Amino acid sequence: MSALTFTLKKDLAQKLDVSPLTPDLLAGKSLAEISATLLWYGKKQIRVDEAFEITGKDTNEIVFDQSTSKIDYIGSGLKTGRITVNGDAGAFLAFQMQQGIITVHGNVNDFAATEMAGGLLLINHNVGDYLGGALVGNKKGMKGGTIIVKGNAGERTGDQMRRGIILIEGNVGNYCASRMLAGTIGVLGNVGEYVGYGMRRGTILLTQTPKLHATIQDCGIHTMPFLSLMFKSFSDFPSKFAHNNQNRVHRFAGDIGNDGKGEILVLK
Amino acid sequence: MLIKLSGGRVYDPAHQIDGKVMDIYIRDGRIVSRPRDDETIDQTYNLSGKVVMSGAIDMHTHIGGGKVNIARMMLPEDHRADPSQHSDLCRSGCGHAAPSTFTTGYRYAEMGYTAAFEPAISPANARQSHLEMGDTPIIDKGGYAMIGSDDYFLRMLTAKKDQNAINDYVAWIMHASQAIGIKVVNPGGISAFKFNQRALDLDEQNSHYQVSPRDVLKALSRAVHELGVPHPLHVHANNLGVPGNVDTTLKTMGASEGYPLHLTHIQFHSYGTEGDRKFSSGAAQIAEALNKHKNISADVGQILFNQTVTASGDNMRQFANSGLASPHKSVIMDIECDSGCGVVPFKYKDKNFVNALQWSIGLEIFLLCDDPWRTFLTTDHPNGAPFTSYPHLIRLLMDKSFRNDMFSKLNLDAQAMSTLTSIDREYSLYEIAIMTRAGAARLVGLHDRGHLGVGAGADITIYTDNPDREKMFSKPDYVFKDGELVVKDGQVVKVTWGHTHTVKPEFDRGIEKDLKQYFDQYHTMNMENFKVSSDEIAEGGRGGVVVQACEGRRDKSL
Repeated sequence: MSALTFTLKKDLAQKLDVSPLTPDLLAGKSLAEISATLLWYGKKQIRVDEAFEITGKDTNEIVFDQSTSKIDYIGSGLKTGRITVNGDAGAFLAFQMQQGIITVHGNVNDFAATEMAGGLLLINHNVGDYLGGALVGNKKGMKGGTIIVKGNAGERTGDQMRRGIILIEGNVGNYCASRMLAGTIGVLGNVGEYVGYGMRRGTILLTQTPKLHATIQDCGIHTMPFLSLMFKSFSDFPSKFAHNNQNRVHRFAGDIGNDGKGEILVLK
Repeated sequence: MLIKLSGGRVYDPAHQIDGKVMDIYIRDGRIVSRPRDDETIDQTYNLSGKVVMSGAIDMHTHIGGGKVNIARMMLPEDHRADPSQHSDLCRSGCGHAAPSTFTTGYRYAEMGYTAAFEPAISPANARQSHLEMGDTPIIDKGGYAMIGSDDYFLRMLTAKKDQNAINDYVAWIMHASQAIGIKVVNPGGISAFKFNQRALDLDEQNSHYQVSPRDVLKALSRAVHELGVPHPLHVHANNLGVPGNVDTTLKTMGASEGYPLHLTHIQFHSYGTEGDRKFSSGAAQIAEALNKHKNISADVGQILFNQTVTASGDNMRQFANSGLASPHKSVIMDIECDSGCGVVPFKYKDKNFVNALQWSIGLEIFLLCDDPWRTFLTTDHPNGAPFTSYPHLIRLLMDKSFRNDMFSKLNLDAQAMSTLTSIDREYSLYEIAIMTRAGAARLVGLHDRGHLGVGAGADITIYTDNPDREKMFSKPDYVFKDGELVVKDGQVVKVTWGHTHTVKPEFDRGIEKDLKQYFDQYHTMNMENFKVSSDEIAEGGRGGVVVQACEGRRDKSL
């Protein structure tokens, strides 16, 4: 069976919320039912077939073609299956995703993987701010799962992150891992200022020593055997991180303004 | 335009009408007597078999003012989880426990309510409260000014100023904040909290002013009475939620020395300390005392199980409970050094011993109090439950078997501690009409609301009789507000703007000389700016101020 494919045919003037278009919500539905599903488009609701050309049948494998950054909430609350996005994705990609795989062959807007709880999110280009963060007013961000970004990530990556892994091959903006509660963030490129700002626990893995603010403390250079184990666990990932196996690092602890149990490890 | 409501079964306790089939005529927003035979009736509604009551009045519900806004800001999850769409008529909105202003108005009207009163307007925040209530469509509104922990008043008590001066100050506050009543929250305790006292009993002194809650209650209840304000002093007593506070509440009833008092959300003040867990029902004692003291009235503040948020001026008790917040966050703050505020989100659970017993205590008070004219149906929205759960509460009161079914699902230890199932009483429609209409209007002092007599404002709710009272009361067939059909089949069909009810007791303006000096010396704002004028409320074109009679001004003390 071929993948259920939504090809964007409408020139979107407003944001389009596609949260009803996930494998678990569409399972067992006929083409007519899927076409008639209502999506929020700005302040109005429109039918799916008004926005998309629908082809294919396999609801467990959903593809968005010609996707643009106006399409929000792709893979919202995903529980199973696979979603592929050809083009860009809008805000709140993989919102509260629980399981499954989402792959984006394009750029992604802000608030990707907000409160993600599990599964794999693979972004082949850049991603905006607040990757793996929390909804405004909520106190915990990403709670599990893995995010791999091939390009750059914006500011506040991993804001209030609680658990899970974010691996970024490019650069990251300011305030990386701000208010982080726990979890792991790896960056192969540069990070901006105030990395680990207000971080409570968690691990940030870097390749170059960044500019650090006053409440991050230098703890010297160490050999950490657990890093070999961690990199081994990365070995299956479709990422440059899979080929790493160093375990000698320069360790910084912080943010001592907020408990200070977090660590920044810079590979030597 | 002359409208005839034909052949409905009318419940109008203010005129002792208990289910009599009769016609009602409406002209220009008022109920009129039967027209002459040659007059043409423009519109007739055939209501045979339907139940006709005046529009319901919620006499204690937090719908405006600083703390509701804090609750809204603090709980985005509450808003995200309950959106309401915009339609051709209605604005969009959201919120389950702390709904947006527009949604509040629509939902009240759709439930057959035509008036609601915000019980805790901090005078410094009065403008904000009236602006919010100005954004609340359809229903009438009003509020009680919250004093008793404000610096100026406590200084007066410390200085042993005479009662006339206190009366003048109370009247000035009512004018300045456009209030219809006076409320006191944890008398003196909001202030005591700021001087590091974490509990204050009725006869304990505020350490800074050397004033006890009893002094506050005595001075204020007398002031309200002597000014001729119809609504008795609205009291949120000390020790809210503390096991054993039933003694404080009983003593509070006597503290006014015979002047009328209204004890609000009395369920939260009716806890004993019996049993293994040192938490028990004091409902029987409270009900007995209420039945005996004819000068005391009470609203219940029933809790119902679900997520809600507690918002109160009682910073002392809210601070003590902030550890129980769910989700875990809270705001405890001072307001202009004159009052306080505590907002703590809370989830009541039926399997929790304390919550289950609180639920039973509220219902026991409802069922053991003999006089529905002095007992009022509230959940202290949103503190016990959102106002949208009133139909469920009415069913609990009117349907014994339903009540007992619900009871059987509670925490077993709590069931063992409660006598609820031994009470057979079921409220009648007439009694519900007293509690939610006639009695509430009389208590608040609304002379032209809450009844269906000639001359009354045509706020009328029409229900289809249904043995399932929850269904019946959640979806009225028609709701008229000032003679206009605003709700049909539980849906808003027209958006109007209600009035703001106030009273304006007379007082000696000479007090402004002293007040002006005080404002200039201590306050963040000018005295003239502190006062909310009637024009301000009316200028948005969203309903003006109605001044209810403040008659029977009692002799001033000599």
